[in-house]
Amino acid sequence: MKKKLVIIGSGPSGLVCGISAAKNGVEPKDILILEREKELGGTLNQCIHNGFMENLTGTELASNLIKAAKGMGIECMTNACVLSLSKDKVLTVISPESGYLKIQAEAVILATGCREQSRGVLSIGGARPAGVLSAGAAQRYINLKGYMPGRKTVVVGSTEIAFIIARRIKIEGGTVICVCEPKGAPLADKKYIKECLTPFNIPFRTMHNVTKIYGKERIEAVEICQLDKKGKPIKKTKEKIECDSLVYSCGYTPDVDIAIEAGMVIKRDTKGPRTKRNNETTISGVFASGNAHIIHKSIDKIIKESAGVGINVAKFLQRQANELKEKENEDSAHNDSEDKE
Amino acid sequence: MSTKAYDVVIIGAGITGTMTAFQLAKYSIKTAVVEAGIDVASGSTRANSAIVHAGYDAKEGTLKALLNVKGCEMMSQITTQLGVHYKKCGSLVIGFNNRDLEELERLKTRGETNGVKGLRIIKRAELAKMEPNVSKDAKFALYAPSAGIVCPYDLAYAVAENSASNGTDYYFEYKVDKIERDGEYYVVCSEDKAIKAKYVINAAGCYADEIAKLINDDLPFEIIPRRGEYMLLDKCEGKTAKHTIFVTPNEKGKGILVSPTVDGNTIVGPNANIVDSKADTGVTEEGLDEIANGARRIVPQINLKAVITTFAGVRPTPTSGDFYIQESEKCKGFIHAAGIESPGLASAPAVSEYVIDILKKAGAKLNKKRKYIATRTKDGNCKLFYDMTEAERRKAIKEDPRYAIMVCRCETVTEGDVVNAIHRPISAHTVDMVKRRTRAGMGRCQGSHCREKVAEIIARELNIDISEVLKFSSNSKLLMGKTK
Repeated sequence: MKKKLVIIGSGPSGLVCGISAAKNGVEPKDILILEREKELGGTLNQCIHNGFMENLTGTELASNLIKAAKGMGIECMTNACVLSLSKDKVLTVISPESGYLKIQAEAVILATGCREQSRGVLSIGGARPAGVLSAGAAQRYINLKGYMPGRKTVVVGSTEIAFIIARRIKIEGGTVICVCEPKGAPLADKKYIKECLTPFNIPFRTMHNVTKIYGKERIEAVEICQLDKKGKPIKKTKEKIECDSLVYSCGYTPDVDIAIEAGMVIKRDTKGPRTKRNNETTISGVFASGNAHIIHKSIDKIIKESAGVGINVAKFLQRQANELKEKENEDSAHNDSEDKE
Repeated sequence: MSTKAYDVVIIGAGITGTMTAFQLAKYSIKTAVVEAGIDVASGSTRANSAIVHAGYDAKEGTLKALLNVKGCEMMSQITTQLGVHYKKCGSLVIGFNNRDLEELERLKTRGETNGVKGLRIIKRAELAKMEPNVSKDAKFALYAPSAGIVCPYDLAYAVAENSASNGTDYYFEYKVDKIERDGEYYVVCSEDKAIKAKYVINAAGCYADEIAKLINDDLPFEIIPRRGEYMLLDKCEGKTAKHTIFVTPNEKGKGILVSPTVDGNTIVGPNANIVDSKADTGVTEEGLDEIANGARRIVPQINLKAVITTFAGVRPTPTSGDFYIQESEKCKGFIHAAGIESPGLASAPAVSEYVIDILKKAGAKLNKKRKYIATRTKDGNCKLFYDMTEAERRKAIKEDPRYAIMVCRCETVTEGDVVNAIHRPISAHTVDMVKRRTRAGMGRCQGSHCREKVAEIIARELNIDISEVLKFSSNSKLLMGKTK
């Protein structure tokens, strides 16, 4: 299969890239958006809270963007997982409907989003019982499946999603004993504390970390400890708190598996692909957008960047087409002169 | 109800027990394996350095030395037969000063006496070429080209699945609490359950002493539980070391190592701390600091920010210092394979042959089976999608479209892999059992994206509600009921 533009990922970034590219001259039928999950929309689908763009919920924003993209005639394929991308922009894709596919693209946008950092970065002592999970996983269990990962929860970390999930657990009838953050200030904007914790009487403790997990099969308690200025636990402040779940949110990292395998240069600081000003990666014609490029502070910034990437890709494809045309003209002029001889 | 009778019952489904079952499955006798845990490799086999030691560590003339070298030689054939990842990456013991060099020379001589081939002392220049990241203070190293790496539970699954396919029965959550005599049989009981066999093999790892006590036998040594803690680094740091690198050992043992794993990660550890409980597999802050410092002695620039998980295992250290494999003097037909600590993984193939020799001497009649399945299951070695060639992937998807549904992107695990693991002879019916068989959830996000997908597939395939799905054991449900 051949496509002018293939976008990997149908979250807010992928959808906006597609819409923007179409608005800026790429034929919608030449654009293909690939989505690994069953539904388009990416992480937005699990965000039933508001605060997206003009105070929409995540799901509302997703449905608006999907409608817009489909309305323009952009082709979207769900259940389609990209296994690899080669330097000459051939994508290997698997899908239960279409099988094992090779797609030759002229331009590719990596809009694969991000992943939550694993628990490893926390290096908490103790065993690894059930009931310890990331905030994103907790959100999917509650919002998408309708199940509670726990009823008495301690949250560690202070990203937006840490605060939002704390509120969600409380609304669903669970108890949130506290949210703790090892640093001196929350990672997310302070407004989240006002919106998510204060009205629900959930305590927020900075300079506190979970230092031990109790329980062999299912988590039974955690040890919480205050940290000194160097981040070392102050032993006498150790406190054992009974709980049946620990939700962690230690930040995000760009999802760059495809980029690494394709041989792109990954930056050590952002952990995303190195890009030029137009978001083009070290592979010509492959662009990175949204959280797959760099972890953004807000959805607004993702959408702004993605709209720009759409324009840049449209320009790139136009330039490619022009160069091809010029080459053809040259060739035919050359051929003409040959004919005359 | 009559008690089911076997020729041989093996107590413990760790690497020693399963490897013995694998070797026995070649003969036409009836074998059962009983295991206290919910799965194969629930104890020491689950969490260790995953190293196939060459055999220069063990003291000359010990059983350890004999079986380590032989086991290491056998590893290649078994892993090829069953499709287990195994890599002969070689090991290096680095030395910093002349005292270390003397010790390395001593190790080399010992290794040669033990029969280890290809041992060589190398100097700084060659070492730096072989290991660009190794400490600049490392001046020499003992190089053992025959050392390797293997995933310990993958090997245990492979041999267990092969033996199950050949008719061996497995009983899980079967904690042996009583052993009685009934004529020529031993009746091996767990709560209200019982099976009987003419021969019993005690391969209970850390608990081998407790099993011995059940027949009023005393092992001539104590088993001390020693915990080793580990850190696992992301695949992007998988090239930190190309060989398994140790520092020159001292009185405390082989010490902390930095090694590649067969799956492309880097492993760091272990320490060796005596713990009160044989089940204490928790990690500690101090322990992780200790191994971090140990790793920095080997690779000063090691990127410990890339740690994706930490874990610990408990080893059954015998106070005698050697493996103890022999028939009980008091109870004929009861064979102890005890005190199998490191290098128990490397030695396992040879340990199992040694056990079978004792069985023969004890009178067991072993005739080769006519119909023997040489692979993991009757359908072959259950290759994972990740390991397939492009042609194999196309074929797998064509035959079963579930091989085109991605479950774990970090490790490229498809729904087809998960379903296959659930329906194999030893069914993976918990999330962790699926994880260890397929690697779903073992990558950089550590299951935060795929755990619920795996749980859903298990629920669907076993026809249970997702809230009933377990992480690993019966009290480890993932979820706590429905939302409001």
